[in-house]
Amino acid sequence: MVTLKVYCWLLCLYPGSYRGEFGEEMTSVFCDARSALPPALAVKISFYGREVGGLLSGALRAHFDRLFGPATPFRRFSMQPQFRFPRSTVFLMIVIFATVVLTIAKASSIGGDSTGSAVWPSLASVLVFMLLTMCTASAVVWWILHNLRRSGVHRLESVQSWKYSAESNGKS
Amino acid sequence: MGTFALSEPVLLVLLSLAEQPRHGYSILKDVESMSGGRVLLSTGTLYGALQRLLDDGWIERVEEDNTPRDRRTYRLTSRGRRNLQMEIERMRQLTKVAALRMARKEA
Repeated sequence: MVTLKVYCWLLCLYPGSYRGEFGEEMTSVFCDARSALPPALAVKISFYGREVGGLLSGALRAHFDRLFGPATPFRRFSMQPQFRFPRSTVFLMIVIFATVVLTIAKASSIGGDSTGSAVWPSLASVLVFMLLTMCTASAVVWWILHNLRRSGVHRLESVQSWKYSAESNGKS
Repeated sequence: MGTFALSEPVLLVLLSLAEQPRHGYSILKDVESMSGGRVLLSTGTLYGALQRLLDDGWIERVEEDNTPRDRRTYRLTSRGRRNLQMEIERMRQLTKVAALRMARKEA
């Protein structure tokens, strides 16, 4: 199965110790969830998108934990609920991208067989490639940050403060 | 009372384990069922949360000889249950205040 191969490949992004501990379990759960999917295409796309996003954000978080420990300032910063791109960013990026592509197409058609036609295709392809890369990178980063925020596991760091505040409340 | 609230997915994972010990896929389906299909966890998110909960001692693995490695079961620890109880109490107080405020506004 292609999807399982992709899943296993993405799982390789995790640190080895994490894979050793959870890898088999995660693969098994993924297979169970995949086999229970309804035939609707939209549901499947949503499922695979969620899985890819979850794996990428999970791998990033696991590496941060391994490298800097759970209390790293960067991790805290990246998991701040306030730290997120507005949804309108994605829409604006798509609009800008579409505008640039349309402009390039229009300019190419005006250029026709003139000398400029030799330059336009290469320039257009470079621009399209750059924009595509930027859009993809931005979308991936947004997705990762969105998943980090949604997981909410960063709030577990506050367990001790709960305990202490509960104790102090009990004493007072 | 604590000042930090748990996120909905983590709270649902804990609530799922509060009822009975469960394995990963069972947690996934139970969370989906409890939230009416609104919270759909990916495996990456689920196991990220489980790892943190394990590290913090809120949950533990159920050690059984005949359990396959890819289907391990998790359960709440007494610490996890106590903290979950505190979170529920915090939510109850918040709901109470919210209801009072709304009633005052409508009056």
